[in-house]
Amino acid sequence: MIALLVGLVLTGCVILIIADILLREVGISFGGADEISGYVMAGVASWGMSYALTELAHVRIDLIRLRLRQRGKAMLDLLAIIALAGTSIVIAVQSWPVLQKTIERGSRANTPLETPLWIPQSIWLSGWIWFAVCSSVLVILTLSLLVKRNLEQADALVGARSELELEA
Amino acid sequence: MIFTVTASLLGLLALSIPVGIVLFLLGFGVDQLFSPFPLLRGLGQVVWSSSNSSTLIAIPFFVLLGEILVRGGIAERTYEALDKWFSWLPGGLIHANIGTATMFSATSGSSVATAATVATVAMPQAEKLGYDPKLFSGAIAAGGTLGIMIPPSINLIVYGFLTETSIPRLFLAGLIPGLLMAVAFMMVTAILCKIKPTLGGTSRSFTWSERIGSLQHLLPIVVLFLVVIGSIYAGWATPTESAAVGVAIAMLIAAFNRGVSREMIERCLYGTVRITAMIMLVIIGAYFLNFTLTAAGMGRELKDLLTGLNFSPMGTLMVVILLYIVLGFFIETLSLMVATIPIIVPIMTGMGFDKVWFGILLIVLIEMALITPPVGLNLYVVQGARKSGRLSDVMLGVIPFVLVMLAMIALLVAVPSVALFLPDIL
Amino acid sequence: EDLAVVGSWSSLPLNKQFETPFWTEELPAASNGEINVQMTTHDQMGIGGGDVFRILNDGVFDVGMTVADYAVGDAPELEGLDVPLVANTAEEAQAMVEAARPMVEDIFKERFNSKVLAIAPYPPQVVFCKGDVTSLEDLKGKKVRGSGRMTTKFLEALGANGVNVAFSEVPGALERGVIDCAVTGAGSGYSAGWWEVSDHLMTIPLGGWDPVVTAMNFDKWNSLSPEMQKLITDEVNSKFEAPAWAAAAGALEADIACLTGNGTCPAGDPASMTLVEASDADLAKAKEILTTVVLPEWAERAGADWVKRWNDTVGKTVGVAVPLS
Ligand code: NA
Ligand code: NA
Repeated sequence: MIALLVGLVLTGCVILIIADILLREVGISFGGADEISGYVMAGVASWGMSYALTELAHVRIDLIRLRLRQRGKAMLDLLAIIALAGTSIVIAVQSWPVLQKTIERGSRANTPLETPLWIPQSIWLSGWIWFAVCSSVLVILTLSLLVKRNLEQADALVGARSELELEA
Repeated sequence: MIFTVTASLLGLLALSIPVGIVLFLLGFGVDQLFSPFPLLRGLGQVVWSSSNSSTLIAIPFFVLLGEILVRGGIAERTYEALDKWFSWLPGGLIHANIGTATMFSATSGSSVATAATVATVAMPQAEKLGYDPKLFSGAIAAGGTLGIMIPPSINLIVYGFLTETSIPRLFLAGLIPGLLMAVAFMMVTAILCKIKPTLGGTSRSFTWSERIGSLQHLLPIVVLFLVVIGSIYAGWATPTESAAVGVAIAMLIAAFNRGVSREMIERCLYGTVRITAMIMLVIIGAYFLNFTLTAAGMGRELKDLLTGLNFSPMGTLMVVILLYIVLGFFIETLSLMVATIPIIVPIMTGMGFDKVWFGILLIVLIEMALITPPVGLNLYVVQGARKSGRLSDVMLGVIPFVLVMLAMIALLVAVPSVALFLPDIL
Repeated sequence: EDLAVVGSWSSLPLNKQFETPFWTEELPAASNGEINVQMTTHDQMGIGGGDVFRILNDGVFDVGMTVADYAVGDAPELEGLDVPLVANTAEEAQAMVEAARPMVEDIFKERFNSKVLAIAPYPPQVVFCKGDVTSLEDLKGKKVRGSGRMTTKFLEALGANGVNVAFSEVPGALERGVIDCAVTGAGSGYSAGWWEVSDHLMTIPLGGWDPVVTAMNFDKWNSLSPEMQKLITDEVNSKFEAPAWAAAAGALEADIACLTGNGTCPAGDPASMTLVEASDADLAKAKEILTTVVLPEWAERAGADWVKRWNDTVGKTVGVAVPLS
């Protein structure tokens, strides 16, 4: 659901850019499409992270993993999801001061639009926080599945998949 | 420091921790071990300013473009048409793989997207017609890499962005080397299949009327190429904006072919968001690692290493090429570019090498990195499409094409005008 | 004493000729080896120009330098350091910057917890045009690639269209008519070959002087001994700031010679652009637009206190007063 929304925002950005190109050709400069697409990119990236995570799309090098038995694979998967959750928490925590400073100083973009930066930065930061929340939940779920020795479900949850399995 | 970081990189990757996360972890490590400064405090700002980029938005646009071409049925028809034209050559359908990859390269900015597009439509044919899986899949993996050499190209946009080089000039410079490589890929395939006919599948031939009739299916791709590239050179659109134009035109073409439905659009968007997030995690991780490495003095270490050798410009160039080949085995390509370009390119231009030319040389090296194990994204993309067989088949299959790339590097060094001819006359 | 220093754009002369030699060689030598510097630049670190002082604020490094205009998103009052078209020679620009200095010091202390060490200029930001241009008025209706927020606002008030084009894309954009004019330093325009695709050079500093502020994190500054503080201040003043200003005056003359072919060009073969010098009418027009539109708008962004202070210092020096409602 979130991913579809993110995709629609991206589509909106395509339309905005094309409108900008067309308007420019007839001599009306409305500007700012460039700036806005930067904010869209930041939002698409941060809010897309959790979707890519649940789809197991974040690339992993599984040369060794493939040669292990089920239990070994499960251990590597657990390690990977813990590393991911830990990192995403650090990113979310360290990104907060960016928004905090923006709010304190009332920072606006250094552009003719003078966009109040708290707007794009709140959207961006909340995407990373959501990513941290999702990955932490996955750690807990994986641990509980492993305790129950339900290795197959754990693999479905946090295993590794290749690009084209996803396409199908 | 360089040694420690490389060793840890390999170790963490081997543990199958996601590549983007590995880069962040290395950044944390560099901060802890090699820097007296609290680099972690810069993390948020680096994440924000690396992703708040109107240049990088070309990535989701090109991915979306590829999704529309596959799901709108355009990719499949292109492949069938090229099959009719090329299947008489020794190696048959393999040439259609390379040809389709070349055509898609001309509309897509990404090698992974190109390889995924071609693999999706080509793989089902391989088993049906009895091709050698090694060469067949190797050709797709290698052909896909052309996506970043033949314009448009995300990697050239990133190179132009990092080095303040004109992106349209870079695009022009990539065209001849890209086409030369496509032709060389086909020649190598034909020669190999001539020597050992079992590599190619059943030879087939089509009538001229069938061939002429198939031309209409090549039209959409040609139109897309002309619009995307044309809008840049006509001065209507910047390279990034042209990606948005490509998405709109692809959508129109798909609609014209009645390939558009609500479900199709939804699947395109889901796919785009997934692949974009996957790429962005790696890019943002690479930015953070680069931030920590530079702050900890890697630039100086690398520079001292290169200048300390006291080699002639040509000698230094050889060391740089070797460095990229070795790093290319292990490091994801965009991260490799972001981390090294700000350090290497000033050294090279300082020695009198042309910035546009070096960009093209770098792209060949990056293409090679895409198909050299253990970290070669295209290998995994193609293996994923096969759904059976061993990854090592694909790895063996790309060897002839890696050799072509090495020859291309030699040619670029010997005759720089291969790249510079077009941008200089236009 | 270990110092981590982050310089401005690595590709530009200010960094190559002044920042890097000063911080990596001259200052360590002057301190008899007591100061040890590790230097990089913001572009090599992959951080935006606007982030340098934000990150300096956090103490991620000790000394940072970047164009003041990049930081106005966090500190709109800082726009007052680089008002376009009020200082037309290097001497006037230096006088303007000196008048603004106490203000800038307070801004940096308040906003970025940083101590200002130096303010050095990039070359004045002049205008390259394709097609006949004889006065400021002629820019009306043209598409101009500006630099900095106040310049863009000025262009809009003049009736020109501000267009956003990356530096590296300017030659192509000029050639294809995507833009009619572009603003940059005369030297950068010469070395990037803008003269190949444009024919008129307006030396009026439409983009201001892009002063580059060098600042040190205040916690670091306070941790230094008074002797060390004095050493750094003196060395920065005499061996970095003063030569950079001296070079700016000479550089403009040489760069104009290179671009127009009038005079000797030390950098290579001269081009033959038509020189368009600012007339008194141009300057009067500029002043009118500044005082009626651009500066009052800035006053709203920056707040009355700062503007009043600006009027009393910089305004007096350059002979412009912002009307305060
Ligand atoms: Na391409
Ligand atoms: Na590789």
